[in-house]
Amino acid sequence: MTREHIRKIQSFTALSLSTLAAVIGLVWLVFILGDIFVHGMGALKLSLFTKDPAPAGIEGGGLRNAFIGQLIITFFATLIGVPIGILGGTFLAEYARGKKIAQLISILSDIMVSVPSIVIGTFIYAIMVKPFGHFNGWAGAVALAIIMIPVVLRTTEDMLRLVPWTLREAAFALGAPYYKVIIQIVYRGASAGILTGILLSIARVAGETAPLLFTSFNNSFFSTNMNEPMASLTVTIFQYAMGPYDSWHSQAWAASLVITIFILVLTILGRIFIKWRFGNK
Amino acid sequence: MNGLKELEAKQLNFYYSGKVHALKDINLPVYKNAVTALIGPSGCGKTTLLRCFNRMHDLYQGNKYGGEIIFKGGNILASEIDVIDLRSRIGMVFQKPTPFPMSIFDNIAYGLRIRGIKKKLELSQRVEKALNHAALWNEVKDKLQTNSYNLSGGQQQRLVIARALAVEPEVLLFDEPTSALDPISTGKIEELVVNLKDEVTIIIVTHNMQQAARISDWTGFMMLGDLIEFDKTDKIFTNPSQKLTEDYITGRFG
Repeated sequence: MTREHIRKIQSFTALSLSTLAAVIGLVWLVFILGDIFVHGMGALKLSLFTKDPAPAGIEGGGLRNAFIGQLIITFFATLIGVPIGILGGTFLAEYARGKKIAQLISILSDIMVSVPSIVIGTFIYAIMVKPFGHFNGWAGAVALAIIMIPVVLRTTEDMLRLVPWTLREAAFALGAPYYKVIIQIVYRGASAGILTGILLSIARVAGETAPLLFTSFNNSFFSTNMNEPMASLTVTIFQYAMGPYDSWHSQAWAASLVITIFILVLTILGRIFIKWRFGNK
Repeated sequence: MNGLKELEAKQLNFYYSGKVHALKDINLPVYKNAVTALIGPSGCGKTTLLRCFNRMHDLYQGNKYGGEIIFKGGNILASEIDVIDLRSRIGMVFQKPTPFPMSIFDNIAYGLRIRGIKKKLELSQRVEKALNHAALWNEVKDKLQTNSYNLSGGQQQRLVIARALAVEPEVLLFDEPTSALDPISTGKIEELVVNLKDEVTIIIVTHNMQQAARISDWTGFMMLGDLIEFDKTDKIFTNPSQKLTEDYITGRFG
């Protein structure tokens, strides 16, 4: 066998193995998405969005309470998490640039991203549920916000760093004070990237169950009161999927489909923004 | 004829991060309505010197000035000087074009708006005037609202010059403004610099000796943080008094 033969065999083996690995990875993804789609589509009815749950075991009803609850909790989580994340990222990339404290916070923030969400859930349980004696929507929003903060913070920091220094210097050279440089020049230059970070962070928390299980818990009734336990899609899916009734199972499938599509759309939007920002240069 | 001094560095020293001694006892007059070029090999301190004139070094921690720079009878290195006001009177143009991520109009209006000019009419008049000064008006007058990133590199550099001119500074600092540009754009910028000196005093840092010879009235030759020689450009390029200057001009090093 010549050396050329050996090379060809090596090349073929490497190609086959990596293709196989890719196929194995993708099969599961397609399988999961397909399964959710097939089961979910069958159970997807308008009443799912317009009606509240029927009493346990009885056919019919919907998950209006969970959809609305999920939206409210995610909305307040975004309202709390995004400004803190953006301001924190701004601090790291601008005011604390090059300082030890900035590196330290960056590393801590990266660690925070990978902290299991259930740990955050139990932490919020201890400080926002236990003292009040009951689960509440605010605790859920805060738990999700805490998961969002490091994601937004790090993307903001990275995106601000991508804005060339000379651009800031040029603004300083025109006599602009630092806060105006940041708001008018740097944020503008990084806006698509920051928006992407926000979308991805919402997508990240929209599928979280564990932190809500310990904080906002669940509610079989329609409620917009953040001081009370509040229903959410993910916790409802968890509860329904574990439950004994077929009607619960199909509703859980439908809810899974809706939340998957929601996250998918957010993620794709995020990618599009990134492309739009960096393809346009 | 030496004219009036617009700026004068006296015994100017500069230290990066409080340690690196980048400028050593610089004494340099800058004459009004003239072009002063700073030349010298890489790392000689010419850009460092330029950035002293608008206190750009203040943006970074630990930098330290010594001596003084006299402007309108006062020392601009004094701690009580308002650098924001100073930078609106001494503008700067950088090596790479630095258009802001906004429309052509908003770019030019940026410095004006910072100064609190909000009236639409006044803004548009001053934007037009600045673009005319920078010889860019005819090329962009129909697309003032388009993104400045769509302009070519040479146009972007003239846009940045127009932006600096819009606030009507007394001095303009150029930091190798043509080193990222093609020869035609370079020619336009050089022409512009020469035309501008009737209104503003210009200091230009350049790597290109021919450029210094073409456009400047005065030239300072620097090396390793020292100002080796300062004189009329003709004199520097034809009959320098220092051996080092002659060696550099004739291309023996650098």
